[in-house]
Amino acid sequence: MVGGMILLIVGSWYAWYAASHYDLGTFRRMGAGMFPTGLGIALAALGLIQVVAAFFRRGRTPSIRGWTPLFVTLGVIAFAVSVRPLGLMPAIVLVVTISSLAELKIRPRSLLLLCLVLCLLAWLIFRVTLNLPIALWHWPF
Amino acid sequence: MDIFSNMALGLSTALSLTNLFYCFLGVTLGMLVGVIPGIGVLAAISMLFPITFYLEPTTALIMLAGIWYGTGYGGRTASILLNIPGSPSNAVTCLDGYPMARQGRGGVALFMTTIASFAGGCFGILLLMLFAPAIARYALNFGSTEYFALMLLGLVAASTISDGSIVKGLSMVVLGIMFGCVGADLYSGVPRFSMGLLELTDEISLVALAMGIFGISEVIASVRRIDVASLHATDVSMRAMMPTREDTRRSVMPVVRGASIGAFFGTLPGTGPSVASFMAYAFEKRVARAPERFGKGAIEGIMAPESADNAAEQTSFIPTLALGIPGSATMALMLGALMVHGIVPGPQLMTAQPALFWGLIMSFWIGNVLLVILNVPLIGIWVRLLTIPYHLLYPAVLAFICIGTYSVAGSPFDVWLVGFFGLLGFVMRIFGWPAAPMLLGFVLGPLMEEHFRRAMLLGRGDVMVFFESPLSASIMGLTLLFLLWGVMTALRSRRAAGDAAAEG
Repeated sequence: MVGGMILLIVGSWYAWYAASHYDLGTFRRMGAGMFPTGLGIALAALGLIQVVAAFFRRGRTPSIRGWTPLFVTLGVIAFAVSVRPLGLMPAIVLVVTISSLAELKIRPRSLLLLCLVLCLLAWLIFRVTLNLPIALWHWPF
Repeated sequence: MDIFSNMALGLSTALSLTNLFYCFLGVTLGMLVGVIPGIGVLAAISMLFPITFYLEPTTALIMLAGIWYGTGYGGRTASILLNIPGSPSNAVTCLDGYPMARQGRGGVALFMTTIASFAGGCFGILLLMLFAPAIARYALNFGSTEYFALMLLGLVAASTISDGSIVKGLSMVVLGIMFGCVGADLYSGVPRFSMGLLELTDEISLVALAMGIFGISEVIASVRRIDVASLHATDVSMRAMMPTREDTRRSVMPVVRGASIGAFFGTLPGTGPSVASFMAYAFEKRVARAPERFGKGAIEGIMAPESADNAAEQTSFIPTLALGIPGSATMALMLGALMVHGIVPGPQLMTAQPALFWGLIMSFWIGNVLLVILNVPLIGIWVRLLTIPYHLLYPAVLAFICIGTYSVAGSPFDVWLVGFFGLLGFVMRIFGWPAAPMLLGFVLGPLMEEHFRRAMLLGRGDVMVFFESPLSASIMGLTLLFLLWGVMTALRSRRAAGDAAAEG
């Protein structure tokens, strides 16, 4: 039900955005907006079907656990933010530490070990073997 | 005669030291990923995808393919010993594999399924060698209408046959194509849906999308779900693995039937090893003289699915390599690896890049033999791997996903995208929207748009152009049939559910 609504909204918005921003062209010579507009309409229609179908069916509410996705995503974002200014190794430590919190308990010893091993691995794979130009350390101060 | 010279060419490619090494690396990683529950094959392939940028295209493909069929061997270990499928295609092996392990016949089960996997794999490769070149030759005179029709068929089939509702599958395909539209327009160069972000004027990175949807969301779903279960003490010495004569006799026919079923479902777009192994199990149960033995450790119940699984893994390369149309999300990633290297997938691939095509196929033989070696004498190591706790594993997986994505283009923005698609993947899991059709749509979308627009140009804006050539018309007809069939089954299952609710 909610899912269908979301699809309906996203589809309509997509079609509207494509139709209003890009050249539709004609069927004979299609512009940039034609194909996406069609897609948006299709998605909205499919969303509508799901909404209607959901009326005739008793839904079950799935169990949603909020903490896990929060910490995992935060970890990834922390990596994205820190890798440029701070370098690879601090970014690895950040993603590992933050995402470990998703477990909802802290194991300091295994965490430390994991960070060390991963930094070593990253150095071996990406610097020694593949020779990528990624800064491992970067001290902005 | 022709095929032999090609085989020789392929063998010389596959046996070069680099390719041999990466083949070994691929199948070993595949085993690893297969053995450990909670990391799927798609997550693994997308994690290693960045590395392939630094390899020759042939080598890259050999490695990625090795991961793909390697998981087919590895997945059953967890199914048999822990009753947790290592990968979805081995889920059905739990039914009879775990009871066998509890009866103390885990060693036999592991050994016999290795043989079944090998036999299924070989059958699949043989079919691939025989049919792919013929299909490609036929497909050389396909035009834009045929291609569009074929891709439409693939997408519709993927969303109707895969588990879950057809509407949900179709909506995910459309959503995937929508993400594929982001970036510069093909004809006019207008940046579409860039939202004012400079990074989005280029297209969305396939790596970021795949890692987010499959890698991150899988981690999210598995954290605090998977515990290290108590491992049944299983004797995996050579002696314990020897099957009895009765076991062998019972296994031959299931393996043959499984391989045929698997090969068939492997070539169909949208179905893959998972569907194939379930079908093989169901079929085996139906033809069995004593179906009540199934679920209690019947050896037929593990042999047929495992052989089907591996046969399907190999034959799924037929549409991918011969037509350039991926039948599954994994195959879409393989094509992505080719396109990164500037190789256009399609029927001309075989003639333009014979060393790549035949080298890849011959590497399948080598890889399968390597896997048997990895599995029979070295099985003890893999069994021990099952005891690695997940709370150590998943942060490492996340770190590798981040580094891998970042290393592709050195852009933190791609890592942001991973986070975004990870959340999206999580939401999709909540609503029961399948992820594989979305990736398929994402990869095929731009190609579809290109062919659609070209066909419209040629057909002077008349949609009927798709029904003019007999071939394209019949493919369109088949697509329609799939749609109807999907709707029918959906309605029937709903009515059945409604009846059940009314009675209960």
